[in-house]
Amino acid sequence: MSGLRLQNIAKAYDGQPVIADLSLEVAEGELLVLVGPSGSGKSTLLRIIAGLIAHDHGEIHVNTRSVGQLPPDQRDIAMVFQSYALFPHLTVQDNLSFGMRARGESLAAGIPRIQTVAAQLGLTAMLGRYPRQLSGGERQRVALARAMLRQPKLFLLDEPLSNLDAQLRVQTRAEILKLHRQLATTMVYVTHDQIEALSMGDRIGVLRGGVLEDLGTPAAIYARPANLFVAKFLGSPSMNTFTAVLEADQLQIGTRRHPVALAGIAQRGPVTAGIRPEHISLQGSRWAQGECPAVPLDGVVEVVEFAGDQRFLEIDMDGIELIARAEPEFAPRPGDRVQFWFDPERIQLFDPVSEVSLRGRSA
Amino acid sequence: MKVSARAAVWWLAAPLLLTTLLLVIGPLLVTVGMALTHYDALGAARFAGADNLVQLWNDGLFWKSVWNSTIVAAWSVPMRLAIALALALLLMPRIVGASTARTVVYLPTVVPDIAYALLWLWILNPIYGPLGLALRAAGFPAEEWLMSAWGARGAIVLLSLFQIGEVYVVLLAARRELPGELYELCAVEGASPWYTFRRVTLPLLMPAILFLAARDVAISLQTSFVPALVITKGGPNFATLFLPLYVYQNAFEYLRFGYAAALSLAMFGLTGAMVAAQWWILRRWWR
Repeated sequence: MSGLRLQNIAKAYDGQPVIADLSLEVAEGELLVLVGPSGSGKSTLLRIIAGLIAHDHGEIHVNTRSVGQLPPDQRDIAMVFQSYALFPHLTVQDNLSFGMRARGESLAAGIPRIQTVAAQLGLTAMLGRYPRQLSGGERQRVALARAMLRQPKLFLLDEPLSNLDAQLRVQTRAEILKLHRQLATTMVYVTHDQIEALSMGDRIGVLRGGVLEDLGTPAAIYARPANLFVAKFLGSPSMNTFTAVLEADQLQIGTRRHPVALAGIAQRGPVTAGIRPEHISLQGSRWAQGECPAVPLDGVVEVVEFAGDQRFLEIDMDGIELIARAEPEFAPRPGDRVQFWFDPERIQLFDPVSEVSLRGRSA
Repeated sequence: MKVSARAAVWWLAAPLLLTTLLLVIGPLLVTVGMALTHYDALGAARFAGADNLVQLWNDGLFWKSVWNSTIVAAWSVPMRLAIALALALLLMPRIVGASTARTVVYLPTVVPDIAYALLWLWILNPIYGPLGLALRAAGFPAEEWLMSAWGARGAIVLLSLFQIGEVYVVLLAARRELPGELYELCAVEGASPWYTFRRVTLPLLMPAILFLAARDVAISLQTSFVPALVITKGGPNFATLFLPLYVYQNAFEYLRFGYAAALSLAMFGLTGAMVAAQWWILRRWWR
């Protein structure tokens, strides 16, 4: 069964579309991450699902129920906000019971549930405190607990980690995943952070300008991005891209030629090619993969960046800037000339005009 | 010239410190001194000891003016705050006409006090004033508003309800500062607008409201002066004799500067007491 189904959702402000005819389906219990740069419409889409913003067009189903015309509180959803939206004048306990009081539900039944959920999230000792007396991570957990108390069919999380420091973010990421597994409730999670998206999502939806550019599992999207935008957006450092010409069986890059896997690709001529840093093999590096072609590519090392467990090299190949990855011990000096080659299977090829991938995707 | 940071602080604060000293602290000290004398501005001041205070204690008109000032503040301040809050909340959304309406709300506040009082003298005129005409047209008896004690006090309260621009602007700004996500949460949790107002907006605006209430009490005790002087002249039968008007009459009509100074000090004390009292009450109430 589907946990959430969006059909042809459209929203425009003053004639400017912010969500353009967007359809997607989230399986029950699935965690879908919506990722995109700021202004891509991801938060707007989340608020349309919640009913906080009215959409112009389209259908919204939570489980099998059509909720598109219902007010937010009747949509069987709970939302966690970026700022956590805790009431500063209420204690944690009162923040947690806010919804019950607002809806006039019995507190006699609610208080034990609050205590259970608080215990589950390690908040028992903090029930009497005010939000200002809590750390960022604790506030975050209060916001999660409040959402859980609604026992919704669908969780909506709007950049829930963006106000936490880096270390806490990784930790909380794991906590949310654990929670998602325990609750087995459908979640839609919005973030601008592609690492968060790749590491958390059962599937990822990449948004740009209100258009769903790609949708799939993190591994599939990472390996075979649907278009140039998605290719550049996911991955850090991002994919190297350059213009090239696709010949019968080779890729011509400037005056050089390089083997490329072309199974199922009929198009020839100019293309935009892309290669991720980890798919560039450096001559002499332990991490080099595959065979060095008869005539390898070469370039001049410009910057060498040490990153602890790996090393990034910025290489200039006749004006094309490439970032390659190698083991930390591999340390040429800036100015050195290095030889390298690409993994022919992993070279991404995009139509130079439409920017759509020529490789397609086998799910 | 090089100025150290410490010296710079004093230089920058100097204009304020100097004017405060000259216009607030100085007159306050002079007033305290003058309250201990008999002084008519014609001859030399004579030391009077506690004479003025004893007289004040036994002065029925003084107590009447305290009562008048208190009763008008007690009506005017809550209503001013309530109206300003209602207008701030109503006109906060960015809808068509809201910005014009916001300007309209502020406008009466910038009218000079004398002009504003004269305008109300016309509005309240029982024969040709628009208020009387409107009431008569609606079938109400055209009362001689200003001829009855409560009518006159009511008129003073009524005209105070329009000069609320500052209170309104502060509340509008305070409301705008409240995070939108709190209200989104209220929508998701199914809180009614009334519940949201009572449990979220009002408590979060309380610090601003408390501050404005204290300020408004102090202002109300003083601003009743001009309308009382121009419109009601303290009447009928001393019903709108407010403290500042009584101070003014004693000083500039009866030339009893010593007694007027004592009255001023009493007004100062009353203002402090009222502000402290409401602060205390409201804080108890909201805990």
